[in-house]
Amino acid sequence: MREGLGADPPGLLPRLRAGDPRAFEEFVIAYQHRVFGVALRMLGNRAEAEEIAQEVFLRAHRAIADFRGEARLGTWLYAIASRLCLNRLASPDRRLARGDDALMDVPASTPDAAAAAERAELDAALRAAIAELPDDRRLVLVLRDVEGLSYEQIAEALALDPGTVRSRLHRARMQLKEKLERFA
Amino acid sequence: MTCTETRDLFSALADDALTPGERAALDAHLAGCAECRRELAGLLRTVKLVRAMDPVHAPAGFVDRVVAAAQPAPWRSLLGRRLMRPWPTLPLGAAALLLIGGLAVLLFRGSPEQQRAAHDQLEAARAPSSERNVAAPQSVEAPPAAVTAAPRSDTDLSKNYSEPPKSESMRAKTAAPTTKTDAPSPRARAERAQATVPNASRDSVSSAREQEAQQRLTPPAAMERREAKRELADRGQEALAPAVGGRSAAAPSAERQPPPVGAATPAPAMATAKAQAMPQSAPLSRTGPMTGIPAAPPDVTARLRVAHVSGAERALIELAARVGGRQTGRRIDGGRLVVELAVPRDTYAEFVREAAALGAVSIESQATDRPMLAVAVTVSN
Repeated sequence: MREGLGADPPGLLPRLRAGDPRAFEEFVIAYQHRVFGVALRMLGNRAEAEEIAQEVFLRAHRAIADFRGEARLGTWLYAIASRLCLNRLASPDRRLARGDDALMDVPASTPDAAAAAERAELDAALRAAIAELPDDRRLVLVLRDVEGLSYEQIAEALALDPGTVRSRLHRARMQLKEKLERFA
Repeated sequence: MTCTETRDLFSALADDALTPGERAALDAHLAGCAECRRELAGLLRTVKLVRAMDPVHAPAGFVDRVVAAAQPAPWRSLLGRRLMRPWPTLPLGAAALLLIGGLAVLLFRGSPEQQRAAHDQLEAARAPSSERNVAAPQSVEAPPAAVTAAPRSDTDLSKNYSEPPKSESMRAKTAAPTTKTDAPSPRARAERAQATVPNASRDSVSSAREQEAQQRLTPPAAMERREAKRELADRGQEALAPAVGGRSAAAPSAERQPPPVGAATPAPAMATAKAQAMPQSAPLSRTGPMTGIPAAPPDVTARLRVAHVSGAERALIELAARVGGRQTGRRIDGGRLVVELAVPRDTYAEFVREAAALGAVSIESQATDRPMLAVAVTVSN
């Protein structure tokens, strides 16, 4: 899990609003992994994730003048990323590119390799289980347990009540637990 | 509190998000319910697993791509886009027309140059006079000497030098010190006329003559010249070369430096310089100086945890070579070493199997049809 979302880099927002191109670059550098991470965990495809992540930053770039600064920049980006991912997942013509598993098959031959293969199998099962979660539950789980956001930050990013966040997270985790019981 | 009510609190317990009252009730129930304790242990294990997943990193070059995409489009492209918008099929046709037109212009401008150069070589090779014999063995730095030695050329050139065209100014500047080098355009027309007048014979025999002439040149010079010509013919570089032409003595030492505006070098020398410069200007991948793979997200992103990073790096490179691949790059990303490899799809499984013997491997990958997979391995302790 990533470290929790901290405060915005000092002085970044005014420079972004002023249209400082260097500030935008710093902005992308600071949040690229978080935004790409959410997109990849939600969409399961690196090319599609990069496309969405890029769109997140471009939208932020266009809308920075309207950003009132009531939320953190990071939360705002997570909000844009979440919305774009859910929209993409809901689009009827979305191509599902899930060829990852074929490339992750690691046959074991030595003790070390056996352990590595077991870990890889668990990893693959975990990812598959996450991918099978309903989109709204998966999003909350990713934001909480992978990206390290608090309930309040998730609620803010998704415009949800914190109680809804808590219950969705609970359901997502219980569903995962059932799918991963054979690894217990 | 029932078992169901208790289990509804497990997730919040994992986040330490229970109120004191909820926590007390939960603890009380767990104390007397082994089934719920097992359930809780299972859920906590699941949460731990999810949280232990490696954080994902954006692909190399992502920042550059985003920053570039955020740049405002130049007014020309905006204008073009607006103009084209009502006719969605027109841009393709227009692009094709422009491309064909551009190629035609380049060929039209390029061929007289090449033909004239061939003619010059032929003259130099055939001329029995001593000055031509001197000119012939010269390398590409000085072939125009033959041009100036030829009576017809002399006439044309002296006329032309009064106003060399921008497009031809490079060629006109020979080693001849008397040459007026900063005259503009009539010379171009005259030179073209000179090149096109003997059309019938020149066109039909130029390549044979060129070969014949080149056989009389010293081998390196001939090769150099052929290469330069090919370069010019292939790329229509004449159109570019003259743009930086102007006046100056033809100093051989200036060949490899971009000529300053207003300075000229002999055309063949320029061509040689271009031929030599081409490999240097070939685009390099952003993923590393050694890579031949275009800057794109790798097909496979892996993380390798080992005791000794440098040893593992060597082993990975050797492993890639063993399975028919190679190292394509090396970089430091967030303080961690990233080894970039190209691995044949056919031997990828073997590569992964042996890589797993080096340490703990975790892999994220993407479906691809490429026969050679781009693999980025982050090696850390």
